[in-house]
Amino acid sequence: MNKIFLVLIVLLTTSMAIRAQDFTFGAITYADYEFDKKTLDSNANAVVLKEFGTASIQLDESTGHLELVFVHHVKIKIYNKEGFKEANIIIPMSKDDNQEETISELKASTFNLDGGRFVETLMDKKAVFTENRSKYTRLTKFTLPNLKEGSVIEYSYRLRSPGLFNFKTWEFQADIPKVISEYLVYIPGIYTYNVSLRGYQKLTDQKVELNKECLRLSGVAIDCSKISYVMKDIPAFIEEDNMTAPSNFKSAIYFELAEVQSLSGGKTSYTKSWKDVDYELVSDKNLGGQMKRKDVFKDLLPAIIKDAPDDLAKAKAIYNYIKKQIKWNNYYGKYTEDNIKKALDFRSGNVADVNLSLIAALSAANLDAEAVILSTRENGTVNKLYPVLSDFNYVVAKVNIGETSYLLDATEPLMPFGLLPLRCINDQGRVINIKKPSYWLDLKASQKSSTNYILTGKLTQEGKIVGTLVTHSLGYAAYNKRRDILKYSSPDEYVEKLDDRLTRIRISDHQITGLDSVENALTETYQVEFSINDGLKDQFYFSPFFINSISKNPFNLNERTYPVDLGAASDERVIINVSIADQYEMLEKPKNMAIALPNAGGKYLVQCDFDGNTLSMSQILQFNNAIYQPDDYFALKEFYSKIIQNQKSEILLKKVKK
Amino acid sequence: MKYLFTLVLSVSFVVTCFGQDNYDVDLIPSLLRNRANSCIRKEETTIDMRSPDNVMLYVKKAVTVFNENGEREAELVLYYDKNTAIKGIKGEVYNAVGMPVSKFTQNDFSDISAADGFSLFVDSRVKHYLPNVNQFPYTVVYSYEIRNKQSLIIPDWQPKPASDVSVEKSIYTFISKPSDQVRIKASNYPGVPEVTVDEKQKKMVWNVSSLPAVKTEPYSPDPETYFTSIKIAPEHFTYYNHKGSYTNWQDLGKWVYEDLLKDRTALSPATIQTIKELVKDEKTDKEKSKKIYQYLQNRTRYISVQIGIGGFQPVSASEVDRLGYGDCKALVNYMQSLLKAADIESYYCVVEAGSQKKSVDPGFASMVQGNHIILCLPLKGDTTWLECTSQKIPFGFLSDFTDDRLVLACTAEGGKLLRTPKLTTQENRQFRNARLIISADGNVTGSMNTVFSGAQYDNHEAMIGKSVSEQHKMLKASYNVDNIDIKSVSFAQKKDIAPEFTENIDIDIPNYVPVNGKKMFLQPNVFNTMRSIPELRNRTLPVYINRGYTDEDTIVYTLPDNVDTDLITTNERVLSSVFGSYISKASVAGNQLTYYRKIVLNDGTFPAEKYAEFSKFMSDVNATDFLKLALSLK
Repeated sequence: MNKIFLVLIVLLTTSMAIRAQDFTFGAITYADYEFDKKTLDSNANAVVLKEFGTASIQLDESTGHLELVFVHHVKIKIYNKEGFKEANIIIPMSKDDNQEETISELKASTFNLDGGRFVETLMDKKAVFTENRSKYTRLTKFTLPNLKEGSVIEYSYRLRSPGLFNFKTWEFQADIPKVISEYLVYIPGIYTYNVSLRGYQKLTDQKVELNKECLRLSGVAIDCSKISYVMKDIPAFIEEDNMTAPSNFKSAIYFELAEVQSLSGGKTSYTKSWKDVDYELVSDKNLGGQMKRKDVFKDLLPAIIKDAPDDLAKAKAIYNYIKKQIKWNNYYGKYTEDNIKKALDFRSGNVADVNLSLIAALSAANLDAEAVILSTRENGTVNKLYPVLSDFNYVVAKVNIGETSYLLDATEPLMPFGLLPLRCINDQGRVINIKKPSYWLDLKASQKSSTNYILTGKLTQEGKIVGTLVTHSLGYAAYNKRRDILKYSSPDEYVEKLDDRLTRIRISDHQITGLDSVENALTETYQVEFSINDGLKDQFYFSPFFINSISKNPFNLNERTYPVDLGAASDERVIINVSIADQYEMLEKPKNMAIALPNAGGKYLVQCDFDGNTLSMSQILQFNNAIYQPDDYFALKEFYSKIIQNQKSEILLKKVKK
Repeated sequence: MKYLFTLVLSVSFVVTCFGQDNYDVDLIPSLLRNRANSCIRKEETTIDMRSPDNVMLYVKKAVTVFNENGEREAELVLYYDKNTAIKGIKGEVYNAVGMPVSKFTQNDFSDISAADGFSLFVDSRVKHYLPNVNQFPYTVVYSYEIRNKQSLIIPDWQPKPASDVSVEKSIYTFISKPSDQVRIKASNYPGVPEVTVDEKQKKMVWNVSSLPAVKTEPYSPDPETYFTSIKIAPEHFTYYNHKGSYTNWQDLGKWVYEDLLKDRTALSPATIQTIKELVKDEKTDKEKSKKIYQYLQNRTRYISVQIGIGGFQPVSASEVDRLGYGDCKALVNYMQSLLKAADIESYYCVVEAGSQKKSVDPGFASMVQGNHIILCLPLKGDTTWLECTSQKIPFGFLSDFTDDRLVLACTAEGGKLLRTPKLTTQENRQFRNARLIISADGNVTGSMNTVFSGAQYDNHEAMIGKSVSEQHKMLKASYNVDNIDIKSVSFAQKKDIAPEFTENIDIDIPNYVPVNGKKMFLQPNVFNTMRSIPELRNRTLPVYINRGYTDEDTIVYTLPDNVDTDLITTNERVLSSVFGSYISKASVAGNQLTYYRKIVLNDGTFPAEKYAEFSKFMSDVNATDFLKLALSLK
């Protein structure tokens, strides 16, 4: 799982001399040029030989404001043409209406060995482009000139940033390996930052020392702690299938401002304890303030819950009402855009508008409702060591009825009561209660994703199976299918496309029920017809695995570094009953099989029987976990492989001579 | 590979909304709802060519989106650059019953750079807006107005942009001075435009109504062949302070050559000397060109640099010489300059690149056709073509990116249309030989040799130069067999005008042939199975097969001793149709089981009623490809 190490920053007075200093630009050596990538990664197309960053807080004399100054210097060896893309550099700079980050002192050079000497080709300033990517981002882009296989490239720049809150994140890991990456930060004594290291790689070295009078404010000299973080021999970061946000795994060091001390001695806290955060959230007019607005629903409630006999029925009625009444506008957020009254009037709002309305309405019905703030899957996991509010980008409702709690998100009309959309299933969320202290809660799918296929039919003399295929879907399987169907103008068109796609199967008639009643299974009934051979012979083979057969192994690689995240547990069953007019005997059949993943992680069962004129087959494929550790990868691979092997065998039937 | 030009089509904008119209979705006739993911309720496009440097475009459009698949049509995307000014965008969103639910203006648009991927790109930008509506159906109504400071490119009209869109009404109006000369190309437009002329202006109006949505059909020809469109090209134009006139490709090619290319070719004396030195021992122009091409490939790489005259003018050759990179225009122009230093003539050619073949229209010259540049060397009859953006591609080979289509050569004598060479069904070849040994417990091990040529060469060339771990990953993706392990990989390349790529791999596939009781189950076709295609009823469009190919696979299996080979009968299937031919044969001799498969798929255009036959052919191939043998054990 995601590892976050707390790196203690203490203002140390001990002095361990930090020798860290930036390397000289342009001092290319033969050791650089001939660096043997095999010592690090023989597959690398390019390697960062050296990287040095410095960040400090300085006073901008012209404006009188403090700013963050970051200097980045990199030297890269390019081995081949595949590595040329490492010479295309993009530096993002954030901006808003009032201020922006700026870059200066940009220099870049390519070094090639020519006749025993290193020849430097300087990048022309004209070759640097600044692009306004969007309202909030500008990009500085450049590429290095005269690039050859074997070139060493080097560049450095200074970035000035008006934002001090996140100091400057440093990514140790990139898409190419690094020999050494070193980050030196100067943090003035009046600033306290929480620092966290994410990812799987460990620091090689970390040193802290006191740096006297690094900053002068209003005539007062301020000391800094000078900290150096060093990581050596860092492997490339390579994304894998079935993984959550890369930021959860990429080794990098993050900062968040905790406290600033003013020169007069007063303190301003930024990152606080959960106790402080609880108070802040509960009293925030766009979060806690909205949860409390029972008044909004007072007059509406009697009509909404009039037919509800108990608390659970009331909760469901309110959930359905909010789903119908306030349409999600596709924006995330833990704070309302305005207030829930307005969202209800306009019938539209962001995630917080929708779900805080739900909480207020549940509370108005005297149900015990709380808010759960969380981070969506693509947003990464949240820091658990101390509250980092900016990590949370979403809020859902939790309603407690008797001993049972239900997590509710009313933004997705196709989600059943108690099941969160997959985007919310991401480690843990924090439960915010108006009256009690907050606490962590596991975010897990409350239902398995489940699909049942039942085929009942007969095998005709022409070698065709004609029958009825009924499919029941629940959980995410049902959600995904409902979404799919609704992408078409009508269920008929969906089925027509399906029929086109299933080239061997002809769907002659269909019925889809439960499309709108999301609390129940989605049921599809298809009259199907497909050939297994050109006409029944006295003896013939055929495969009983014609429904959702597995022929490809989704875990076919030889290594795995990060956990496999499937989102939710799943369950798929297939039941087949096919009758044959004449008497046959079964000479061969696929082995009956029952295999399991370690630690009850999942199982596969298959059983095939024949009673003279009816063939029956039942099959169960279950995955009990949402997340499997990298070590489980090979068990998953083997598990699938066994299924695939089994599904290759066929049934051999022979006509019984009368 | 790399495209050159971005869409420079300037689009125009809103003036007024059709406030008085009723957007109740129930008012859409059922004919226009059937199969439609969206419906264009009303679209009015007006172009007013006031002067060559002031061409106004007014667009008013109302689109109903029925479901998520239809959202593409609700999206408003406007490209613009220094030559265009977007005057005003405004719009409204209506719900299913036609009640307004929200409004938007230019401020709601995200304004982003039109660069895609890594591109040193400053000029072109795009404004982009998708109404954020979660409830279908809805209707978006908008209008905008764009002033184009050029008349080289006039926005064309294609009232029905895709199969799944229906059109209630669409009107296209072109206004010019009565004296303006314009050429018009109408495709699939029944009838003639309404024309009104007075002293001040000439107005032409085209319109269509009640076009239903139709089912998308696979293997269809270029939509331009069956969709309605109107294209307009003024004879006299202004473009980024350049003026010109053309009525045919000859004139247009001449203008490109004279105004955009001619003065970009100068090289330093040192570089000229290097080139002369480089080729001094080569006897023929072709050998010289080959040497120079190699020099180009070693010295340069492709970087998209979208600046200059609307993306039409290359960076100068001397600049590329200094930087070692450029986009397709710059690299072609540089190569042309290098060749010139060796006194070899070549043509800068504009082509519409992409695997789907598309020619420039011989009957209608215009500047919007083509998105890439290649180089043509006449070499006194031994015409040779060069793709200049790839550092890997062999000399003289264009690949399926630009094969078999008409291109515009811009020469000192003017524009000429030339056809690039075709990669034929016989040339696009995959030839495979594998020897695999099956063990008694069903494991497979052995080696495989495959030679790819023609268009199939391209698909594999990318593997050259990749790291071993990446090669293994790519091979596992193309031979996606359960449990497959690549033991060793080696590649060989024959880099000439008809290139070949040879792949030699050693593989293990544990448990490929599972044992079940007294049988082993073998699917002899491990690596090359055909997908089936939808079997549509009521096909309306001709069947178009863009490119043909020939695959020939031979796999010889050595069977384990415990297989009773006497019980194996030869299994053969032969299919033949106008679309191609297919043989699949499994036969046994001693303990060797030989599987042979050959498929030839022909390119071409076939009548719509042949689709059923095509689908049957493909589905028979698909079924036969999955042939499974049950081998009896002793």
